[in-house]
Amino acid sequence: MTLSIPTPSTAPAKRDFRRLIAEYKIVALLLVIAIIWAFFGALTYDHSLGVSEFLTARNFSNLLRQMAITGMLASGMVFVIVAGEIDLSVGSLLGLLGGVTAVLDVWWGWPLYGTVAAVVLLGVAAGLLVGWLVAYVGIPSFIVTLGGMLAFRGAVLGITGGITIAPVHTDLRFIGQGYLPESIGSILAVVLFALLAFLAFRTRAGRVKHKLPVSSKPVEILKLVITGAVIAGFVVTLNSYQGVPVPVLVLLVILGVFTVIGDRTVFGRRIYAVGSNLEATRLSGVNVNMVKMMVWGLMGLMCAFAGLTTTARLAAGTPSAGFGGELDAIASCFIGGTSMRGGIGSVIGALVGAVIMASLDNGMSMLGIDTFWQQITKGIILVAAVWLDIVTSGSQR
Amino acid sequence: MAEYLLEMRGITKEFAGVKAISGIDLKVRPGEIVGLCGENGAGKSTLMKVLSAVHPYGTWEGTILWEGKELRAHTIRETEDAGIVIIHQELMMVPHLSVAENIFLGSELTRGFGFVDYELMNARATALMQQLKMPDINVALPVLAYSGGKQQLIEVAKALNKNAKLLILDEPTSALTTTETETLLELLREFRSRGMACVYISHKIDEVAAIADTVTVIRDGAHIGTLPMRELDTGKIITMMVGREMKNLFPREEHKVGDVVFEAKNVSCWDPINSERKVVDDVSFQLRAGEIVGVAGLVGAGRTELACKLFGYWRGDHEGKIFLEGKEITVKNPSDAVRQGICMVPEDRKRLGIIPLMPVGYNMTMSVLGRFARNQLINAEDELAVIQSEIIRMKIKTAHPLLPIASLSGGNQQKAVVDKMLLPEPKVLILDEPTHGVDVGAKYEIYKLIFELARQGVAILMISSEMPEILGIADRVLVIGEGSLRGDFPNVGLTQEMILAAAIGAAETAAA
Repeated sequence: MTLSIPTPSTAPAKRDFRRLIAEYKIVALLLVIAIIWAFFGALTYDHSLGVSEFLTARNFSNLLRQMAITGMLASGMVFVIVAGEIDLSVGSLLGLLGGVTAVLDVWWGWPLYGTVAAVVLLGVAAGLLVGWLVAYVGIPSFIVTLGGMLAFRGAVLGITGGITIAPVHTDLRFIGQGYLPESIGSILAVVLFALLAFLAFRTRAGRVKHKLPVSSKPVEILKLVITGAVIAGFVVTLNSYQGVPVPVLVLLVILGVFTVIGDRTVFGRRIYAVGSNLEATRLSGVNVNMVKMMVWGLMGLMCAFAGLTTTARLAAGTPSAGFGGELDAIASCFIGGTSMRGGIGSVIGALVGAVIMASLDNGMSMLGIDTFWQQITKGIILVAAVWLDIVTSGSQR
Repeated sequence: MAEYLLEMRGITKEFAGVKAISGIDLKVRPGEIVGLCGENGAGKSTLMKVLSAVHPYGTWEGTILWEGKELRAHTIRETEDAGIVIIHQELMMVPHLSVAENIFLGSELTRGFGFVDYELMNARATALMQQLKMPDINVALPVLAYSGGKQQLIEVAKALNKNAKLLILDEPTSALTTTETETLLELLREFRSRGMACVYISHKIDEVAAIADTVTVIRDGAHIGTLPMRELDTGKIITMMVGREMKNLFPREEHKVGDVVFEAKNVSCWDPINSERKVVDDVSFQLRAGEIVGVAGLVGAGRTELACKLFGYWRGDHEGKIFLEGKEITVKNPSDAVRQGICMVPEDRKRLGIIPLMPVGYNMTMSVLGRFARNQLINAEDELAVIQSEIIRMKIKTAHPLLPIASLSGGNQQKAVVDKMLLPEPKVLILDEPTHGVDVGAKYEIYKLIFELARQGVAILMISSEMPEILGIADRVLVIGEGSLRGDFPNVGLTQEMILAAAIGAAETAAA
């Protein structure tokens, strides 16, 4: 949920840069992406061909596919962190669910819908179990999920016997490796734009009706034009390679649904309230334990999606799948402006954070930089991002 | 030596282009107690933050003369070294450290090489306790072993230890009992006779009147006046604070008392940590529709614990039956309570009332959000419409309904928190210190609201430590002492003395 305070139309002329950044955090993050891309674009420029290897449609498509799995985990993780908790078990749970996917598909030969249904159910159940232990039993989430991290990883080793299970069926592989036909991608883009335009119009009408400040018409139209251009650019670029990758589509749907959950639903409002002040929320008559447990239900669902996608993408179930995935997801959230103390954060921010991480990975690999440098750089970026966040929000001590 | 110990001249402080205080003067002579009065949001805290360099030199305009020389402090450390020590409203103690460790926090005595000299620290701390007439305090015990009142005095000891020449007390008695308040005021008088100066900030005007030599009043960030106390009385101070004459602090309005709607039978609660200790002991009472019942008693008598139990929020063991409109109900948690028509406005607004990062409007609708939703999806328009009408009804001063609640003044925050508990349309409303830390104007509006609710037939249980408030508002007064119900008086000809006697008197007879 973006609790951006609408700036009154008669804002004081002296509006300093800091506040601007704080209000339009997402714009700042997009700027960071632009800088990173420009940087790698320049470094991978090939004079003989006249193009940057990094800035090709093919690489863009790869990058998005790489970030899709982290993005799914990060989407669930945002709500966990916003609710004031943490989940260290998602990488292992992803591994377990990915392993189960492979077992059901390869060994037991289940049909795709059966496999997906079973894995989703198992993921939600595992999430709810963790949530129940945290919310109702009262064990700190750090401990419960640290335990889960070990237990789930152990379980995946147990059921797979520590070996790689391959090959999975073609229809399952489509979930991780497939692309949408160009025409469907374009149609979806148009539908999405129409939907966003309609929502923008309705929100504006509502604000006008209640005499709330609204941005001027040209600004509003400019916003829509930019949105349209971004969507068009996105789809045209991906179509010029092979089309929109299926995992990316899934992630975009998650982004849409989760944004609606965070911004527009009773449940979403309560997640933010719980993270901002748990006791005050409880005293407002909200069943805060249920809210927390449901947050973990969503987290489990995201682990299931991520597990299915991982196994589908590798076309095999490996016992080490998702190793360290929790840290990438948590880092994405923090880079994307989620507050460690809870109560603040957005799904779009976390996904932009995931894109930043994936861009660094992808760009540095392309330049042939050693893995250890990649890790050091990502560590520094994480700390720097949170430092910037602290400086711009003025909560520095 | 200069005539004044401290002279603040024309202090102006802006936040993002908005003047929080403008051109304020404050002068303190050595050995003088200056009362600083003003409504919430008048700028008292800002002024003190300027003085103690929480807002460092250069971020504000004006001059500060300390012992005749200009003071340009950039850190709190510098002002403390100069002898300016501030004791904040919220106690700044580390509960698990010992009393002595807290007193010497930040200036620990060592044997060198960073090894703490506990013997010396404990000896000095004990000496300080004797000076404060609290010889029975064991300075080696953790601070959490002592009550809020004792902790406040430990905080004073900490200030004394810093060789304070000027002690600033910000609402020091908000958590103290009457006796503890007396002890504190007595101590301050003694310090004054030894030449220490003091700035005393309080909403409790009678305390200010009792102790101050000079009173400075500020309103809306501006200096209204500085007068010697002998030319003033509480009425005049209030008039200066609110800028209008407050003839009637309590807008008593007629309301009909109906049938019994609520009954608590044999309610007992035990301390969650020390499960042997009974904090509420076999309390039974009834509430009628449209009746305002005050709950009086000393701080720590078990009033808040009783309220928490009735609202399903008590963490320790508890027993007792609750009846609503004749039927026994179970209240396991606050959400049960709200659903069945019992609402509570908690005592500690900051910790239990507001959801600080959320807009004021969303705070108000938190309990009834489901009303605006179909299939979980909130209809933002319906919600906003309600928020806006409630803001008008509650007279909440906010530039915008979706401003974060933390940016509002205490009184307006409280109105929003009260409104949150009105929207579920309770049959029984429990108010725990509803005017705690709220300025005079907002108090008046909260009282008016209470009477309006009573007229609508809501049964109201109001816990308050301010006796005039209880006597001014309630139809009936319950007196709680040491966990038991010591009195249930209709508020006819009732006096503060009678209530106090009931609260403590019975204890003495029992002990005798």
